[in-house]
Amino acid sequence: MWRFVLRRAGNGAVSILGASLVIFMVSRLSGDPITLMMPPDAPPQAIEAMRVALGLDRPLWTQYWIFITNALTGDFGTSYRWQQPALNLVLDRLPATVELAVAALLFSVSVAVPLGVLSAVYRGGWVDRLGRILAMLGQAMPNFWVGLMLILVFAVGFGWLPAFGRGGPEHLILPAIALGWYPVAAQMRIVRSGMLDVLESDYIRLSRALGTPERLLVWKYAFRNAAVPLLTMLGVYFAAMLGGAFIVEVIFAWPGIGRMVVEAVFARDFPVVQAGVLFSSILFVMSNLLVDISYGIVDPRIRND
Amino acid sequence: MTALAPVLAIEGLKTYIHLKRGVVRAVDGVDLTVGAGETLGLVGESGSGKSMTGLSILRLLPKGAGKIVAGSIRLDGEELTTLPEKVLARDVRGRRVAMIAQDPMTSLNPVFSIGDQVSGPFRYHGGLPRQEARAAAIDVLQRVRIPSPEKRLGDYPHQFSGGQRQRIVTAMAIGRGPRLLIADEPTTALDVTIQAQMIALLRRLQQESGAGIILITHDLGVAASLCNRIAVMYAGRIVETGPVREVFRNPAHPYTRALLAAIPKLGSRGRRLVAIPGQPPSLIDPPAGCRFAARCPLKVSACDAYPQTTAVGPNHSVACWRAGEAV
Repeated sequence: MWRFVLRRAGNGAVSILGASLVIFMVSRLSGDPITLMMPPDAPPQAIEAMRVALGLDRPLWTQYWIFITNALTGDFGTSYRWQQPALNLVLDRLPATVELAVAALLFSVSVAVPLGVLSAVYRGGWVDRLGRILAMLGQAMPNFWVGLMLILVFAVGFGWLPAFGRGGPEHLILPAIALGWYPVAAQMRIVRSGMLDVLESDYIRLSRALGTPERLLVWKYAFRNAAVPLLTMLGVYFAAMLGGAFIVEVIFAWPGIGRMVVEAVFARDFPVVQAGVLFSSILFVMSNLLVDISYGIVDPRIRND
Repeated sequence: MTALAPVLAIEGLKTYIHLKRGVVRAVDGVDLTVGAGETLGLVGESGSGKSMTGLSILRLLPKGAGKIVAGSIRLDGEELTTLPEKVLARDVRGRRVAMIAQDPMTSLNPVFSIGDQVSGPFRYHGGLPRQEARAAAIDVLQRVRIPSPEKRLGDYPHQFSGGQRQRIVTAMAIGRGPRLLIADEPTTALDVTIQAQMIALLRRLQQESGAGIILITHDLGVAASLCNRIAVMYAGRIVETGPVREVFRNPAHPYTRALLAAIPKLGSRGRRLVAIPGQPPSLIDPPAGCRFAARCPLKVSACDAYPQTTAVGPNHSVACWRAGEAV
């Protein structure tokens, strides 16, 4: 088990290094940050001095080498725009991003799993039909629209929940639903089809023939088997929520990494972009690692390989 | 042995499967009894209704499609067909009647430990606390000869061999001391040496527990080595039943005779295998008369009506118009 985790962690480190290279190069394709930082009528000598001061006059490879070696010591450079260490800017925002992604994932799983399981158990019944309608609605409504509707109904209409910002748990509810809404359909379907397969399996039939109560049969013995494909999917969605919550973050004025990185891209604030994306990729790799570890917990056949 | 009150008595059982293309009369008027300590072999080819008969006892028929439409199934005198599903699930399945599954490779849950699966029945409807259920699981695994079971409770199915898995499946079945065991092709998926061990195990377990066994098989060799009596099933009905020696020595039904003749014998190498010409009839709309008539070498005009069951020896009866002359 530990060798397995270590190997996956090693693979993850390589992925992160690769991501850092790509983001370093790609961000520099977007243009020259100096032209945005200096007034249009600045003398050429001043522009050149600024470029030298920021190290942007050196060859790309040298710049990358400096970035990586500094990054390993925890120095991601200073934001061109905010004059603060980029790392601090990212770390300030990290908890908000993780909090939102975790809440959204919990929301989607807690809706999708019961619906998926019950749809399979009562195949063709009313839960199954309701689930199918929900799935269709989920896929048809983009999260910016869901977000706006939630604000309109629950914040503006009823006034039950705050419309924006980060604070107590009540601030988390609407953005988490907006972000977690879309994956519900896919998760529900994968749980349903997995459960349908497993409920037809020899071991569930035998277990039923030996008198195992139906509730245990479904929620314990069958569900753990159906959970393996769900875990794979959760890993992908969780990573996407960590890195791609930009739209929801903007709608709910949520102070997450996604929004900050996009703003930094527009400002060509390279250190912030690099630090932000690098942290997103670290989160991505970590969520995949978590999925791999949880496979091992759920399915013993993987653990022993 | 049959003089004792039977553990199981089935009378006139009809189990139909409702499909879109019609109603399949999978079990169509079956009578049989199993005594305590007796092993009844239910033999026949695929689709003859032998597994459906077994599943009817536990009422584990295909959901929504399979239904017992007539007949009675009595377990120690208690009628099972009218028992509410809840009571059946709680008091009968796994407790008084247990099943040994066919394929050991797919019959154990791959993501739960053996300890969990074997002790499950003790905990969930034996009501034993965890520690005692664990001890009971170790005990029953010892009875099926799993070496040092206390060390292996945490292991998962993929860490056991096929033969061991079949023993574990058997342990799950005998755990609660059932009165009747339904063993559906328990040796089919095993290789021959393991088959022999499994047969020996079943025989020993029966001697220890005195349970009745219904052995569902298409393998006449396995039936011969394990059973006291056999019932030959063809197209949803039992065509011949009797003590195993008697049926093997003096088969009275032309189908039984054809089945026995179809077993390849030592020294028959190079000769053509004997096969029964034709196909079993469709069970959606079976013929009114003898169901074997279309393939029978002894067919006469009387066979257009279903033959009455006649005794041809002690406890040996057959459903054939020409049984008397054929023996």
